[in-house]
Amino acid sequence: MDRLLVVRCPELLEEDEGGAVLRAFVGVIAAVGAYCPWVTPVRAGICSLPARGPARYFGGEDALAGLVRAATEEVTPAEVGIADGLFAAVLAARRDRIVPAGGTPAFLAPLPVATLGQDDLTGLLDRLGIRTLGGFAALPDPHVLGRFGADGAHAHRVAGGRSGELADLRRPRVAHLLADGVDGGSTVVEPGFWGGTNDADARAARCLAAAQELLGPDGVVTARLQGGRSPAERARFVTWTAGEPPQDGHPGTVRAAGSGAPWPGRIPAPSPAVVHPDPVRADLADVLGVPVRVSARGLLTTVPDRLSVEGGPWEPLSGWAGPWPSDERWWSRSRRRGARLQAVTVRGAHLLLVERGRWWVEATYG
Amino acid sequence: MFVSAPDRRLARDLDPAALAALAALAERTRPVAASRTRLLPVLPALAGLLPDGALRRGSTLTVGRPGDDGALSVALSLVAAASASGSWCALVGHPSLGAVAAADLGVDLGRLALLPRPGAAWAEATATVLGGVDLVVLCPPFVPRPAMVRRLVARARERRAVLIVVPDRAGWPEPPDLQLRVDGATWEGVDAGRGHLRRRRMTVAVTGRRSAARPVRQQLWLPAPDGTAVAAGGPPDPAA
Repeated sequence: MDRLLVVRCPELLEEDEGGAVLRAFVGVIAAVGAYCPWVTPVRAGICSLPARGPARYFGGEDALAGLVRAATEEVTPAEVGIADGLFAAVLAARRDRIVPAGGTPAFLAPLPVATLGQDDLTGLLDRLGIRTLGGFAALPDPHVLGRFGADGAHAHRVAGGRSGELADLRRPRVAHLLADGVDGGSTVVEPGFWGGTNDADARAARCLAAAQELLGPDGVVTARLQGGRSPAERARFVTWTAGEPPQDGHPGTVRAAGSGAPWPGRIPAPSPAVVHPDPVRADLADVLGVPVRVSARGLLTTVPDRLSVEGGPWEPLSGWAGPWPSDERWWSRSRRRGARLQAVTVRGAHLLLVERGRWWVEATYG
Repeated sequence: MFVSAPDRRLARDLDPAALAALAALAERTRPVAASRTRLLPVLPALAGLLPDGALRRGSTLTVGRPGDDGALSVALSLVAAASASGSWCALVGHPSLGAVAAADLGVDLGRLALLPRPGAAWAEATATVLGGVDLVVLCPPFVPRPAMVRRLVARARERRAVLIVVPDRAGWPEPPDLQLRVDGATWEGVDAGRGHLRRRRMTVAVTGRRSAARPVRQQLWLPAPDGTAVAAGGPPDPAA
């Protein structure tokens, strides 16, 4: 989840007929835009911007919040907060707080369930004796989905600080109004930002922006290639951002510097089509059921014969290759030593990683 | 063709070299991704599998059945040529794409939007992106309801987009225009400890409706040693 800075202007929350409020709000966006160009209006009186980059540049989140507050207060009184995800960041702004990185679940926990703004859910939870977001978040996932349905499950993720925002938090109409330019000075979605400016590009830009309104900013991402050893290191996923220059649409430029350079220990091509963001636990054993390990010299202690993924049934290996030792960050204390192995079963081929005696499925050649 | 009726005589009178030059010029000036064209290109290795040798706009395909090894690779290779020629694509509901493999297949990552975890809003998110991109690869995270599926299929038809579904365990309750299966996939290159995975031979079988009712099978190297998709063996043969 992105770290977001939210600016909340209490006097601009209600739109008026003459448009004076929106005009003042455009002034706020322009003022905040001096610190970061990617300011997103959430609804009238509330806008957000990614905090990580600007905080690094302006010397910390406290400093950034101070600067943004000072800039906004030249226009209107402002509350500024920083947290992970939009929902928590808006609440942080109402309390003028900077929630430390990773502290969002703890920040949300004592707040009343009514904060979610879903009356039916609040009533239901109240009857169950659950009054705080923390209490709601502590319910196990499958139970929540079964009892409260998909909307409840989403609210549950938000309450636990695991998902960014509620679907109805944004008022897309405001974004469109501002995009049409009340007074110009718009920083919102410009069609044709990703490369060309033809009809197809503009259409794609609009529908992806709409998908982002539906799923939250982190709901739509794009992949960039970079240098690295493991399949996971070789790509990074960046939040799709209106205004961020694309890869120009030329396939050649997608390959970032370093992706063509030699990386000792990299597994030869072809690459796996499925790379698990969180490696899946696996067990590897020989013909007698003895767990396979890798010695300090990078050799297997016994011959692999069967594989079990996530505690599932044993599957016989029809072939395997490796190990390829990997010694990452050998210069630092976060040094990681391990080895990789390719394993083929009837169900498919996997790239396994072993670290400290434990096997993981890192990727699958799906 | 670009020659209108009164010009046919003229075209006949022109010498072949001039005609060839004209044709070459027409090819060069053709827009890269004409949104009005009825078909979207696919990699040469896959052309033999599809009734028009290309993806028909507005159609829905399913790729693979539960447990099919390689279904995602087939879906990505269907998208590759269109994305490389300027079409926008989206991948909905797949949280763990191997971006390097996709790029090696020829997918232009700059034109591939990823909606990895749409959650309960997956159908609405898919309908939204179908409104603006040419191809959508959908891996439904939950079992889809028939009404939902009919709405998405109708949306793809109306917006002239191609919907490629990788149903996996969730299933897909409507018969699609084309159904691709992976009939057996075997890896080459590894032995007991030696070598590394080099390439996978797979048989892709296609059945469909109307003009595609006759089943077609094709042997593919997917991926080939360089990560691309290459036809293996002879031309596609109609299944017995």
